[in-house]
Amino acid sequence: MRLPKHDLVSIEDFSQAEIERIFVLADQFSAALESGEKCTLAHGLIMATLFYEPSTRTRLSFESAMHRLGGSVISSADMHASSAAKGESLADTVRVVSAYADLIVLRHPRDGAARVAAEYAACPLFNAGDGSREHPSQTLCDLYILRKRKGRLKGLTIAICGDLKFGRTVHSLIYALARFGANIVAVPQAGMEVPEYVLERIAVERNYCFSTVSISELSSLAGDGGLDALYLTPSAPHQMALFTSDLPLAKIPSGEAPAALDAFYVTRLQRERLPDKGAGAEAYVHFDARALKTTRTQAAVVMHPLPRTDELAYELDADPRAAYFEQAAAGVPVRMALIAWLLEQASQRAARTPIAPEAPRFSPQPAVRCANVNCITRHESAYLTPRFTLARNPDRSRLMLRCDFCERELGAEFVGHVRTHRYYRFDDNLRGYVRQWIEEGSLAVFETVKQAEESGYEPYRRGPQREIMNAAGISRTLDDLAGQIIAGTADPGNMVIAGIFSRGTILAMRLRELIEARTSVRPPCISIDVYSGSDPLRMVDGGDEIDISGRTVVLIDDVINTGWTVQRAMALLWQRGRPAAASLAVLIDRGHHAIPIRPNYVGKNIPTVRSERVLVRLDSSPADAHRKSSDRVVIYSILDSMKEPAVAQ
Amino acid sequence: MSRAIKRIAHEIQEHNGDLANLVLIGIVRRGVYLAERLARALPTGGIAQIPVGTLDISSYRDDSRADGGGPQLLGRHVPFSLDGKKVVLVDDVLYTGRTVRAALDAIADLGRPESVQLAVLVDRGERELPIRADYVGKNIHAAIGQRVYVRVEEVDGLDAVVMGELRQTV
Repeated sequence: MRLPKHDLVSIEDFSQAEIERIFVLADQFSAALESGEKCTLAHGLIMATLFYEPSTRTRLSFESAMHRLGGSVISSADMHASSAAKGESLADTVRVVSAYADLIVLRHPRDGAARVAAEYAACPLFNAGDGSREHPSQTLCDLYILRKRKGRLKGLTIAICGDLKFGRTVHSLIYALARFGANIVAVPQAGMEVPEYVLERIAVERNYCFSTVSISELSSLAGDGGLDALYLTPSAPHQMALFTSDLPLAKIPSGEAPAALDAFYVTRLQRERLPDKGAGAEAYVHFDARALKTTRTQAAVVMHPLPRTDELAYELDADPRAAYFEQAAAGVPVRMALIAWLLEQASQRAARTPIAPEAPRFSPQPAVRCANVNCITRHESAYLTPRFTLARNPDRSRLMLRCDFCERELGAEFVGHVRTHRYYRFDDNLRGYVRQWIEEGSLAVFETVKQAEESGYEPYRRGPQREIMNAAGISRTLDDLAGQIIAGTADPGNMVIAGIFSRGTILAMRLRELIEARTSVRPPCISIDVYSGSDPLRMVDGGDEIDISGRTVVLIDDVINTGWTVQRAMALLWQRGRPAAASLAVLIDRGHHAIPIRPNYVGKNIPTVRSERVLVRLDSSPADAHRKSSDRVVIYSILDSMKEPAVAQ
Repeated sequence: MSRAIKRIAHEIQEHNGDLANLVLIGIVRRGVYLAERLARALPTGGIAQIPVGTLDISSYRDDSRADGGGPQLLGRHVPFSLDGKKVVLVDDVLYTGRTVRAALDAIADLGRPESVQLAVLVDRGERELPIRADYVGKNIHAAIGQRVYVRVEEVDGLDAVVMGELRQTV
């Protein structure tokens, strides 16, 4: 029998009815395990466990569940030691492994990895944790125990404490609790609050409503000052509150907040996910018997995904309200139920009813990079095209995109149409067009105007333009720049010229000719494409990339504006080696620097207003001196897309 | 030194006007104390203190012996969003610019601030990268090989800027 391709990537992949069905099955398996009954349901089926990150209990409970069902398991406990170490992509690995197994269980350190793997695997795939995103089978165990202990999920009030930012089990749990209509009191460690995108999602999809409370209001609630917290007010039937860990639990105000807590869910500090490992640990939540003594907490069960570090006192273990070992024990019957549910689906003729209409997905051209450094699309870029859905706008001037893999959102100020090659400054009036372009597959998205221009896009509408430099002027200025660079560089023989693609590269090649004419040294010339996803550096003469360590790099660009482009170019260079020094030469400095990067050599300073653009047009064949007649520098202003052109001059 | 901090605070205020959108990021270790002092010196409009984050960027003693890409990010503690913020990066001494470059990479990874400005207590010149500070407490011309140390009370027990010879440890 073949298992149907129902992946469990997110807890959202299952409907409430399906989760309830899994709980019924889990009850049956719990009883069967108790009585020692043998089961052969999954006889002949093979599960493959692929773990790119160490884990004991998740992997063992999945493997145990499969064995208990009479199936077999193939495993690679440490993927980093095997194919991943040879550089095999995640997509290739799961494609190959789906030929060996009927079901894959995957754990991976990158956000969104399970989504990618599920798309490439031919067999169903269960997510056993991907980066700081979700861990849905753990969530099923949590919900199962909570429901078992309390008899229901709807209307329960659960306090979730500790690391709510990196704790992946927590995000799954929050989505699921919201779905079942439970109240959530979040008690985050300072600096480890629930991420925006999680809040946003339950606000939009589950009608949870947030509002903030001022410091003074909170102080009066908490009794002492210095709090910095969010307080989320009820929006019937749900209620949610966010407090910092400084707030004594006994003082949760009785008016708005729940009269009694049904459960505490304490999380572990995800030390391995902190950029500075170990910091922040001093003040982490510590939970002991005292917390259960108040009238508000006397019926609360205590849950923890385990392993625990210091956050749960051992004295709690003997308390009947401690449910964490039961949670761990539920791992096997719940995972057995998951597999059995798949088998049930295989024998069912009717197709599964879709859970929710899917939002249209799109991949803008040129490719937009996901803003999350740990997103799988940033690490497997050779075959993965970043893909987005539209998110809600916090303000009207930016188009918000949500990564379809890791859910991180990013805002874009400029959009364009791939066929007309026009770009627009985004405002809310364009939203209708943007939706249409997404459907046609013709939406382009730009982080900056510069990127739009480099991609060959023209503004939708521009004001009158004026020429500020002609071909002769550019030629004179370059001559002057070459002189400045030679004077400023101690050893021209050690020089490397790096042009920022595309106009910076053209200028770099021309400057190299001028430098060679004066010093008879011909420095190597690199082109850096800061917007290209892969292979951003190349030698303009072809051939192998030179080692830039110990060299003096002269960066060349046509116009410096904010400086972020130069920052990116340097970041790319620094990935390759360690130059002895780097300097920056620009044809035009237009002001408006946003970061502390300043050019060492400037052809011409041209003060501009922000809405103006300085455009350098260059003949791209540097060798032919007679055909430079089209070279010029012009200034124009961008006009707002939907407004009438203002009268300039 | 407290005069210099006061002056920098004044300049930051003058340059940015409304400070509601301002955040400070200190570079570990002395930059952090300077950032905290700056935060105290800036008026907050009665709301809350200006948020201070930290970046821990490994410094290096001797250029020729360091390998890899130079100073690297060891850790960060920036418990607030940088999107749309005006960030003031604070360090004690600006020298080659390499630490600041690494800090800019870290900031670019963390979010999309409106701007990043650089405040340093001492600018000793001899830049190797196209980096320039927006606010400088004091310019010092020190010969290559000479070291400039900033001492802060929180770490060293006193506030001072001292210059010394680099002892070659061969």
